[in-house]
Amino acid sequence: MEWLCKLRVSRSGGNSLPDVSMLTRPLWILYIITSLAFLLLSSKDVHYSCSMMELTDELQLAFAEGRLSDGLNVQLVAPKTFTNHVEGLKAKLAELKNGLGWLERLDLTNEPAPAQPGTDMVGDEDIHDDFKRELTFYRQAQATVLQGIQQLQKLGVKTKRPEDYFAQMAKSDDHMKMVRQKLLEKQVSMEMSEKAKKMRELRKYGKKVQHEVLQKRQKEKREMMDAVKKYRKGQKDKLDFLDDKGPPNKKQKTGQKQEFHVNKKREFKNQKFGFGGQKKRSKMNTAKSSADMSDFNPSVHQTKHSYKSGGKKSNAKKKGPAKRPGKSKRQNMKSRKR
Amino acid sequence: MAKRKRVIESTHVRDGKRKVVEETVVLPPVISSDEPPKKQPKWTNRERVLVFSSRGISYRARYLMNDLRALMPHSKQESKMAKKDQLYVINEICEMKNCGKCLYFEAKKKQDLYMWISNCPSGPSGKFLVENVHTMNELKMTGNCLKGSRPLLSFDPMFDQEPHWSLLKELFVQTFGTPNFHPKSQPFFDHVFTFSIVDNRIWFRNYQILEEDGSLAEIGPRFVLNPIRVFAGSFGGTTLYENPKYRSPNELRREVHKRFAQKYVSRVQAKKSLEERKPDEPYKRDPTDDVFLTIRPEDTTGKAKNTSYRNS
Repeated sequence: MEWLCKLRVSRSGGNSLPDVSMLTRPLWILYIITSLAFLLLSSKDVHYSCSMMELTDELQLAFAEGRLSDGLNVQLVAPKTFTNHVEGLKAKLAELKNGLGWLERLDLTNEPAPAQPGTDMVGDEDIHDDFKRELTFYRQAQATVLQGIQQLQKLGVKTKRPEDYFAQMAKSDDHMKMVRQKLLEKQVSMEMSEKAKKMRELRKYGKKVQHEVLQKRQKEKREMMDAVKKYRKGQKDKLDFLDDKGPPNKKQKTGQKQEFHVNKKREFKNQKFGFGGQKKRSKMNTAKSSADMSDFNPSVHQTKHSYKSGGKKSNAKKKGPAKRPGKSKRQNMKSRKR
Repeated sequence: MAKRKRVIESTHVRDGKRKVVEETVVLPPVISSDEPPKKQPKWTNRERVLVFSSRGISYRARYLMNDLRALMPHSKQESKMAKKDQLYVINEICEMKNCGKCLYFEAKKKQDLYMWISNCPSGPSGKFLVENVHTMNELKMTGNCLKGSRPLLSFDPMFDQEPHWSLLKELFVQTFGTPNFHPKSQPFFDHVFTFSIVDNRIWFRNYQILEEDGSLAEIGPRFVLNPIRVFAGSFGGTTLYENPKYRSPNELRREVHKRFAQKYVSRVQAKKSLEERKPDEPYKRDPTDDVFLTIRPEDTTGKAKNTSYRNS
């Protein structure tokens, strides 16, 4: 009965009995509801299988000893134990050791070599951080190499392969060629991406500069116009703002001219469509050009004089400036004012 | 020999001159050049390792096995073993092949790879699950080494802290270490095998020694050994150690399946519970609202038909 650990669960449904006979012996996860006394007393009505009778005997015994109580009894599965036979392991290790010298074994136990300063290797080890983990392995190997090579040289063993010693390698030459090719490809692609990144940044910076230049120019123009306005109104009597702003403006203009000199778009278009083109017949009049009135300026070409002389009189009377009233009207107006 | 004789004669002559009888010259019993050449203590450690697998291993596992064979000049081959054979048969195979150690790759379900490492006739042996296999053929491993040069073996200090780790360390040293003066080995040192313990697993790496000041390049292969059990015997016997953190790939796969199955079940359940939680009436009604609602006699059904009729 050692397997029967007791677990009290709230009683369900008073003295109703579940069909216990359905449970087979090996299944043993038992649900025995109600007290054992009830089980025994009511055995008249319920027919139990042979195994059930054994079970009841067992339960009876347990109950008599006071190991059972009312309620739901459930078998608990003991937690799995994992063997760790330390003595056996040690004995086996002693048996396994063959007492060969270090030169036969070449084993070394090392802490990882100290990390290079500047690398972020401090902090807790995260096994999912691939880079960090691989670097610890690398450093461990490094420490072993540093110690092992020294130890071998102390024992008088050659460690370094001479340049003219040729032998079969673990990886074939073809394979190493492929490795080298892959490395090269990677390097090239890295360089390309870096270049593209730089260009992108430069373009961004160029745009910013252009924007600034435009704004500066607008500002200067505004200031100039303000100064001119003030001068016109008579608030300023000197024209020195022209001298002040003149030279730098000019300088800027020349600078801008130089900048505008290289117009990439224009160059490309010239290259694509050809520069200049046919000049023949380009100055001939066409129907369109003769109908073009865009350069007709009425204030220049349409003077008052020509209007008065050439226009109809009736029109001139209507549209002309207001005439002076007659004498009597003027006198009337004067008297009214008084 | 002749030279020696001459020297002896000359002394005789000198002695003759002095005429003192000192003819009893004590000679060494054997002349040094007559001595048999000093025997170099060559290849005393005749350890051999049988490296082979069961049938049905994946290509990656096969490559891994071949890499190990290439790196271990003291390894021996054997054809793949049928899965139905019992594991203790391997002991007999090892005996036939004169091998004292064995690396046996066991494939299961065409996807899981287990590795046995064993000291052959008498044990102990260890069983591991092999994870994260990268072979030497991968192009990102840029190092190279002489075929058959002896590796330095680097171990994590963790290996000395627990008895099962130290037992496995000894097994690794004897298995992966190439015996000195092995006829197929090279006399230089240009690579390191690294065994580290992280996350209760053994991580294997192989680095080339580029310079002796400690710059390395990885050669490969790499793999991770998740220990399952350590047995006292070879391929069996009493269990000395059992890894409590080990979970079999079957179990993990089952969990994944279950999780996906759970997704559907939970969705159905959520729908059902929503139905249950929905109130019959979405808002509280005044029961007196439909007091004055009357049914037209034409719309009555059942017994109500008898009670109401339209006067016409």
